[in-house]
Amino acid sequence: MSGTFRFLDDIALADMAFEAEGDSLATLFDAATQALLESLADPGTVGHTWRQSLDLEEPDIPTLLFEWLGRLVYLKDAHSVVFHRVSLAVKQKPEGSSWRLHAEVVGAPVDPATQALRSDVKGVTKHLYAVRQGGAGWTARVVLDV
Amino acid sequence: MKLHTDMQVNRIHDYLWEIPPSEKPGMLVPARIYASAPILAAMDRGVFDQVTNVACLPGIQRYALCMPDGHWGYGFPIGGVAAFDPEDGVISPGGVGYDINCGMRLIRTDLSLSEVQPKLDLLMTELFRRVPSGVGSRGFVNLTRRDFRDVMEQGAAWCIAKGYGWDEDLERIEERGCLPGADPAHVTDYAVERGINQLGTLGSGNHYLEVQVLSDKGLFDRSTAAVMGLTGRDQIVIMVHCGSRGFGHQVASDYLKVFEKAMRRYGISVNDQQLACAPFRSPEGQDYFAAMNCAANTAFANRQVITHQIREAFEMVFGESAHRLGMHLVYDVAHNIAKVERYPDGEWLVHRKGATRAFGPGSSELPDCYRAIGQPVICGGSMETGSYLLVGTDRAALETFGSTMHGSGRTMSRAQAKRHVRGEQLQRDMKQRGILVKAVSMSGLAEEAGFAYKNISEVVETVDRAGITKKVAELKPIGNIKG
Repeated sequence: MSGTFRFLDDIALADMAFEAEGDSLATLFDAATQALLESLADPGTVGHTWRQSLDLEEPDIPTLLFEWLGRLVYLKDAHSVVFHRVSLAVKQKPEGSSWRLHAEVVGAPVDPATQALRSDVKGVTKHLYAVRQGGAGWTARVVLDV
Repeated sequence: MKLHTDMQVNRIHDYLWEIPPSEKPGMLVPARIYASAPILAAMDRGVFDQVTNVACLPGIQRYALCMPDGHWGYGFPIGGVAAFDPEDGVISPGGVGYDINCGMRLIRTDLSLSEVQPKLDLLMTELFRRVPSGVGSRGFVNLTRRDFRDVMEQGAAWCIAKGYGWDEDLERIEERGCLPGADPAHVTDYAVERGINQLGTLGSGNHYLEVQVLSDKGLFDRSTAAVMGLTGRDQIVIMVHCGSRGFGHQVASDYLKVFEKAMRRYGISVNDQQLACAPFRSPEGQDYFAAMNCAANTAFANRQVITHQIREAFEMVFGESAHRLGMHLVYDVAHNIAKVERYPDGEWLVHRKGATRAFGPGSSELPDCYRAIGQPVICGGSMETGSYLLVGTDRAALETFGSTMHGSGRTMSRAQAKRHVRGEQLQRDMKQRGILVKAVSMSGLAEEAGFAYKNISEVVETVDRAGITKKVAELKPIGNIKG
């Protein structure tokens, strides 16, 4: 199963919320990332002229996902870009002390003439933020401040 | 009356309700909500839960308050007001909001609707071109890091010195557009990198630039309006709603992390992670206050640069100087801020989150031109229904730490709104009703449809009848720019 996400109607009147699911950590991170990408712009209308790779390390999975999504929002503002796709890998360090993420981010400078732009997400919040592992895999609930 | 809470809510009068401290363990003061009965009945559960959480914060004074446009927020409800003893109370980024110094600005003109209507399409096109909005937009002001540091420290005054405004603008901005105590040393590189290219940009969401008309029918207090240069007769005014953009959000996010750790050090526990706070006098509290003031000053500067662009657009379209068009600033006021303010019963650190300062007549904080009438209060409604101008009262100082409402407040989620209408259809419908809308994102436009918001007139009526602000004028939209 690949990751899936759905936007939630009833918990963030003024902002946006989504729930992402995956049968593995990789698919959970993929799904949450895709939800954020699609909140910003239709990725199908965004080119791939801008690339950046980045690495993050955090003590636990909820913090890693939170910081990763926040880093994407930072990249959007600092480089005035929106995103076409992201390839990422999540691994626990061998000694088990922390979690690492490596990502290759592909996108293009913002261009309202050619891109279907959506919401200018300002950040990821801790409001009702949750990452859980259950029988079917992983779920995350995220509220984005717009 | 059926409410979205199981807590006991006592009626103080027709427009004020109180939840006693017995309703939640840890409440230090009562929670008070300004609302008519129908507005109170419609308030979401989050308002009741969150305003009573705020009432539990260390050092809170008198009451935790919520205004009639209140709805759930992060930590504090939107519409929340709380004051703390600066010596033994806390400061909380959740009480300011992510968009630090999100606020409203109103500019008057000598133009009338009949003069603007024939050129409205050109005017809105020119405003849309000159004031960037939407995802990832960049401003026209190229700043070095040194420049951006000056903006953080000087706010609107930096803009005036660079030619983006008039000297007289400063006296008509809350705190003259510059909060003291801003220290860029407490701002992260991430925040600077997010903000350095965004000066003079609107953003998206509920932020907008609106051309509005003030008819004679919209004047409730003719003499007070006249002091502000507003005379009716289908007069054209311009309203701007925006804040500190990604910069302010990054400052808030950075310090929420700092405060989560600090709370353990200071033995503070809160009912909601988003209420993370620290003693105001602690190093963490002072660092956040210094960084928050940087973001607040950047927001004043943002609205000042946008004002410059608006004046230039009008000059281009109408072939007259902005001075000859009478484009004076009416006022600029924050609705997401924390400030130390003096009241008859002491000096308090007042948090306003989705709430507007509303100082009454005679306040020494007001410029000479407004001291007799009280502070202008600008409240934005939805892009379809209109907005209001009010003035502060003495009663606000006594009851609400000089605070009042800020807007209309949503009643429907963004996703729900998009299911009801498509942006393109809404744009066509509004054009037929005489409101020309330019938007970067059609889905973003649909999210801001008027039916997704409370009726602002009912909210304004509540604060007027409660006596914490008095209404002066209603402003109707004819042109709107959305991100």
